[in-house]
Amino acid sequence: MARYNLEKQLNILEYALSSLWRRRMKSLSVLLVFGAVIFLLASFQMVTQALSDKARQVLAHTPEITLQKMSAGRQEGIPLAYRDKLAGIFGIRRVVPRIWGYYFDEVRLANYTVMGMAVDEMPEGARLDTALARGTMPGPAEQGRAVIGSSITNALDLAGRDTFSLFRPDLSLKSFVVIGEFSRDTDILTNDLIVMNLADARDLFGIPGGLVSDLCVYVANPTEIETIAKKISDALPSVRVLTRPQIQKTYQAVFGWRSGFGSICLLSALAAFVILAWDKASGLSPEERREIAILKVLGWETRDILAVRFWESVIVSGLACIIGMTAAYVHVVYGAASLFRPVLMGWSVLKPDLHLLPRLAGGDILLILAFTVIPYLAATVIPAWRSATVPADSALGG
Amino acid sequence: MLIELSGVSKTYNQGRANEVRALSGIDLGVEQGSMVCLKGPSGSGKSTLLAIIGCIFPPTSGRAAIAGRQLARLPDRFLTLHRRETIGFIFQRFNILPELTVLENITLPLLPLGVAPKERRQRAQELLERFGISHRAQFPAGQISGGELQRVAIARALINNQPIILADEPTAHLDTNLSREFMEIMQQLKEAGKTVVIASHDPLVFAHPAIDRTVTIQDGRIHVP
Repeated sequence: MARYNLEKQLNILEYALSSLWRRRMKSLSVLLVFGAVIFLLASFQMVTQALSDKARQVLAHTPEITLQKMSAGRQEGIPLAYRDKLAGIFGIRRVVPRIWGYYFDEVRLANYTVMGMAVDEMPEGARLDTALARGTMPGPAEQGRAVIGSSITNALDLAGRDTFSLFRPDLSLKSFVVIGEFSRDTDILTNDLIVMNLADARDLFGIPGGLVSDLCVYVANPTEIETIAKKISDALPSVRVLTRPQIQKTYQAVFGWRSGFGSICLLSALAAFVILAWDKASGLSPEERREIAILKVLGWETRDILAVRFWESVIVSGLACIIGMTAAYVHVVYGAASLFRPVLMGWSVLKPDLHLLPRLAGGDILLILAFTVIPYLAATVIPAWRSATVPADSALGG
Repeated sequence: MLIELSGVSKTYNQGRANEVRALSGIDLGVEQGSMVCLKGPSGSGKSTLLAIIGCIFPPTSGRAAIAGRQLARLPDRFLTLHRRETIGFIFQRFNILPELTVLENITLPLLPLGVAPKERRQRAQELLERFGISHRAQFPAGQISGGELQRVAIARALINNQPIILADEPTAHLDTNLSREFMEIMQQLKEAGKTVVIASHDPLVFAHPAIDRTVTIQDGRIHVP
């Protein structure tokens, strides 16, 4: 009996394949449109996962706790003297000041992120050099030296030279020499970044002495981050205390929100396709009616004809999945997700040129299948019931 | 009797405004190995009677026993299963699927029976050789001649070795030579022990010497002159 059923299903599968081949232009057009929808959904899913992974990987090297002074709900300069107030909190390894801000380049209409760092004071400051493709991070004594992100070279048109100037608030120019460039692997955070020492950043932004943008707190035991953050909050009530896990969650939420928004748009496209497939499957051409009637007179049961429709849909949706997912992988890995970068990479004018490696977990594949293949199968097989119930006697009498 | 109908009636859309009584009080018996022609004008009920004999649907009332099975008691699924084993159909215009090859058309009834590809090809090849069209096996059916098409339709009706062959207006679109050739093949089938029922109003069919009996249908009833 099992052998009979297997042979029967193989025969029906063979007929479904020949049926698809007979209507090859129609099958091909459905395959291409369906493949395109799956490609868009899978690309979006892959690029979101890849960006989240990348962000998590890069954020692993950020300070465990960041302190910012808040006033009237806005961030303002935090006094360097707050470092003394933290001295008594057990578990703090080091407190390092940082000055940062955005510099709007009116000529190129681009925003750069400028960061003044005290690299020598950071516990693993020397390791920052590993994020560079060339050069070293600027030391405290190296005035007018900067390390830049990969897009800054192009934005400032630095080909063939290593100096550039930025305007101070009083419109006087401050010159810099490029002594290093960040690796492209860190593009997600450093693409539009200019790093200099603390004094240069203070000079560029005109920040008064004794104030910095934030204080980076490094702790001795990473499992104690939350406890230490609470102690700092108690000691400095006017200070916003951001922990690394919180920042990581924020990044995930941002990518999640953008991904969700994009997915909703793409699911709408999928819904339109499924409705179209339903509509097509509901209608029956005279040739199809005739074919079904002939098959029924020749001894085919309604369920055999439904099985043909089922296999046709499985073949089309399976092929569309393979084509769509493969194209999505190529798009994300070799095309740097060029279709979705503007949506997913934020507001920056300088879009990072990321080299993403998609992580395609089993759950992601199942999710894509659930949102594409299952609705398509339902949209084609359920209305096929009506077509499969064409009365056999319609093949008789001319 | 291989085919036994007693007081058979068929009403389409029963109880609705568009109710049509297609057959009324049909009594008919056909012995195994005989050839019967159902004669009558278009709309007389020949195709409906053929559909009941062919186990496509049961009669609305009356008794219809085909190869020993009472149709009225059989659910739709079992009608199909009984049809597979018992009836070989030859349609008007032959109803061959033109995009399929000759071989694929002939083996269509075997697919839901779970017959393996090798056996399917073997059975079809035997019939193709018997009817002299084995050289056309891999041709698309839409590209062969009318005479060859007719033989493909007959081969398809015989592929599962069913004891009853039903033909619905088989010569309606054939020229005289092909019609004669068709009847010769039917005669051979009869001689081989098949029971043949042909619905036709073509004199070449109902006046053919191999026909044992002609039943005239008129307005859904058997007309006795």
